[in-house]
Formats: sequence, C-alpha cells, structure tokens
Amino acid sequence: MPAPGSIVGPVAALINEFSKLPTIGPKTAARLVFYLLNRPRHESQMLADAIMEAKDRVRFCSICFALTEADPCTLCTDEQRDPAMLCVVAEAKDIFAIERTGAFRGRYHVLGGLISPMDGVGPAELHVKELVERVGSTATAEILIATNPNAEGEATALYLARLLQPLGSLVTRLAYGLPIGGDLDYADETTLARALEGRRSM
Amino acid sequence: MILAHLALSNVRNYHTLDLDPEPGLNLFIGANAQGKSNLLEALSMLGTGKSFRAARDREIVREGVELAVMRGSAVTRSGNVELACSIAQTERGSRKTYTLNGHAVRYARYLGTLRVVTFVPSDLQLVTGPPSLRRGFLNAALAQDRSDYYRALAQYRTALAQKNAVLRAESVDAELLEIYEEQLIESGTTIVLARDHFVRELAVEAARAHGRFAAERERLDVAYAANAPYEAPTGDAVAAGLRAALRAQARTERVRRIALVGPHRDDLVLQLDARPLAAFGSQGQQRTAVLALKVAEYAVMERRADEAPLLLLDDVLSELDAERARAFLAGVGAFEQAFVTSALPIAGPLHPARTWNIRAARIEAVAC
Ligand SMILES: [Zn+2]
Repeated sequence: MPAPGSIVGPVAALINEFSKLPTIGPKTAARLVFYLLNRPRHESQMLADAIMEAKDRVRFCSICFALTEADPCTLCTDEQRDPAMLCVVAEAKDIFAIERTGAFRGRYHVLGGLISPMDGVGPAELHVKELVERVGSTATAEILIATNPNAEGEATALYLARLLQPLGSLVTRLAYGLPIGGDLDYADETTLARALEGRRSM
Repeated sequence: MILAHLALSNVRNYHTLDLDPEPGLNLFIGANAQGKSNLLEALSMLGTGKSFRAARDREIVREGVELAVMRGSAVTRSGNVELACSIAQTERGSRKTYTLNGHAVRYARYLGTLRVVTFVPSDLQLVTGPPSLRRGFLNAALAQDRSDYYRALAQYRTALAQKNAVLRAESVDAELLEIYEEQLIESGTTIVLARDHFVRELAVEAARAHGRFAAERERLDVAYAANAPYEAPTGDAVAAGLRAALRAQARTERVRRIALVGPHRDDLVLQLDARPLAAFGSQGQQRTAVLALKVAEYAVMERRADEAPLLLLDDVLSELDAERARAFLAGVGAFEQAFVTSALPIAGPLHPARTWNIRAARIEAVAC
C-alpha cells in the first residue's frame, strides 16, 4: 500500500507520460494531470480522442515529409504551386511559418532536423538522400535553404549547397535582417552586421 | 565607471539586497560564509553574465525559488545605464536574460556595458597553472572588450565540438569535416588576431608594472604562443597559418580522433630574465608576476574603453603580504571604484571610501 500522501499508480503513470513531452517537467506534468482529474470525464475523452485521431490520420508525406492526411500531401499535388521552386526546411512546423507569409508558392522538402554530429545527427539521419534524388529527378530552378541562422542551420545549409550546386540548380539562402519594429539601438552587433552585409539598393 | 546602486533578489544567500556603494574603494569585512564572495560573484555576473567561481547558473538562484535578479545603476562615460541579469530556474534547466534600460537584449549586446576586472585567489595560479587558466584570463578581458570576440569564441567552441564528433565517428565524413574546419578558421582568425593585439599591449603594461614591483631588478616578458604559427598579425596571414597547420596535422588528428590545431590550444609564455617563470621562478616571483598581469589587464581594459572598469578583489589582498597588497593597489592607480572583500581588517593604508560589515547576508556601513 502506498504511503499516505504519495501519488497512487495510475496518476503517477499519467504524470510520467506527460513529463516525457518536450518542455514539460515533472511539476508541470503533475499540474496538468490534477487539472484533468478535476474536470468532467468527457473533456479527457475529447483529448484522448483528438490525440489518437491525429496519430491515426496524420502521417509524413512520402515526397516532402510534411505532415499530411493524404499521401502525397496537398502541397506536393497542388498544381498552382511552382514545382521548379523548392524550399528546404528543418522541421515540418517550419512550413507553417513560411506558409503564413503567403510569399512562397513553390514546393517544400522537410529534412527532419539539422546536421549536428555532437548530437548524433549526421546527413544519414536526415532526409538528405531523398532531397538529392528529388532534385535529380525533377527540373528544379531554385533551391531555397530556409534553415535557422544558427550554427547548426549554417552548417546544414553549407553541406546542402555543396551537395546540390553540382546538380545545376541555383541554391539560395534566406536573407538575414533586423526584426521589423525592432530598435536599431538595441540590436546586437551580429544581427546588425549581417543586416549590413545583406543590404540592398532602393 | 561607477556602480551607484546594486539590487539583488534571491541571489545565493541574499533574499534581497539594496546597496549604494561609494566611488573609490569599498571594503567589505565579514567572517566566512556570510556572503562576501556571493556579493562579488553577483557584481561580476552583473557585468559579465558569468560566475568567476565557474558555478552552474542554478547554484546562483537561492534555494527554493525560481528567479534570481541582479540589477545595477551604472554611471558611465556614455551616460547612466540601468542593467539587469536574471536567472530563471525551471524544471528544464535555467535561463538567463539581460536587459539594458528596460529593453531585453542579447548577451552579445549586454556584455561590455559594465566592465569588470576580477582578482580572486585562484588567479594566483595564473603562472603555474594549466594553459586553460591563461586562455581564460585572455577570454575574460577580450569578451568584455569586443563583442565580436565573444561571438567568435562561441562559434569556435561549437564548431570544435562538431569537428571532434566528426573525428570520433566510425567513418569520418570528409565533407562535414571541411565545413567545420572552415568555420574554425573563420572564428579562429578573429580570436587569434584579438589575442595577438591584446597580448602586445598587455606585455608592455605588465613589464612596466613588474619593473616597479621588483624595483627594476628583473624583467618580465609576456608573449602570446599561438598554437598555429603565422607570419604577420593580419587576418589573411593568420587564416593561412591556421589552414596550413590543419593540413599538416590532418593525419594525426584522424588517427588520434581529436582536434589538435587552433586557438583552443594557445598559451601565454611568461619569462623572467629570459627564463621560464613557472619552472624557474620562486613562489614570490610567480606571485609578483601575477600581480603585474592583473595590473596590466586593468590598464589595457581601461585604455581600450577610455574608461576605468570596476575592480573586484575577492579575498585576495589577505593572501598577499602587506607590501605586495599595497604595491598592487598602487599599481592599479587611479581606479574609479573598487570592491574589496576580506575576512579580517587589512593591514596597511587602504584608505577605503567606505567600510561595510557583512553578516548573514546583511550589509551595513561602518560609521566613519
Ligand atoms: Zn508533400
């Protein structure tokens, strides 16, 4: 029998499951669990159903590795999109960010991460081979590498550029700039220096 | 510059602290474990975002709370600045944030606003300790002096860790190795050039200070020993030197599976009358050289910023004999503000602007 005041079996198990999620530690997990236990049964049922529904119906597109219900995904089958423009992103969620801008009308390729040997992630762990095959088999005018402007994003972009340039497509990289509405005075020098390098005539 | 006000909240053993230090020398007297080192650590963190005790950030946050804040009002040459460094403790680790005049800024922008020169007992190993201590000495000064140095150092460390991981892999990816080596050359060149220029200035000041301490009987030579030699202190020559050294050591690095070339293996050469100080100097000579190096660091920092940094001396004057302690303070000369801790009242004429007692994380001015 558990000691008085200690957390009993199913509750401990649920807390344990929640704390496996990213950014959720044991304290937050406990808070979520006690919240759910205090709410009506149907709310928990809806949460459980939504998780299973998403899990059963959503998969990775076999062409671009975006999250999708239909395979290939609508981004890959949409005739309005320019198949000669390819945007390479690290994660499926990055597609949402670029799509929100409405400024890109080409196709995507999700790498599934960034190259970082010290974290055990090399090119073989990512969808790099599939990218090269894709570029080799479809006429691609431009490949836009939209990885983050951090060390891993830079190294990944350089690696892909070396791999893709010999295939004859134009390889481009997102420009660096100042945040809109930001204050020049408080921008750090890295950001400012990169923005200066990427200046353009007007 | 002058720190006119310091406020701490949940930092180490301080629940809250509000302190209005004086310009000039502030002497803090207290028994051990009352909060002397914690105070100087907090001052150092307010300036550099880092603890000189190499403590983990979560150790700074007072036990049982989630947020530690260090706040200061500084009077600098370019105006008054409100600065704050906060450490938030979450289940997933700790997170530091910085603000200048209420604006959140990145670390690279924050660093160098409130410049500090710290001198703690472990610095007395600067001559005899491992090369990493001397690289740390250069890094601490240069990171505050130039934000591109700090940035290059951070990039260099990441690229180095990646290169080592590539070298340790079962089959070495030559393409990736080349990418990380290009990054190492780029950031490494910035680091080497900055160190070269800094040590040239440091050497002049250190020889001058040492001459005064040793009554001109002995000569201290300080030189920069870059791991990869170069023909001239220019960007192109340094990059070429790094590239050549990487090529020359490529096979050895592959066999030993570790990166052997670059500024992570730099050192300082310290000689007294042309003899290696660590091997041939007496303990007294080695200590005198450390004092000369710290005085030189202060002088170069002051000249480069055209402004006196804060001087933080944690329990170090009592480690020195009275004559050296006096010589050190005289060597630093016209500091604008200093924070000095000691367990005992210090012998000799220190002329503190104010003496404070520290007891159980409470600081009270001693009536003049
Ligand atoms: Zn798709």
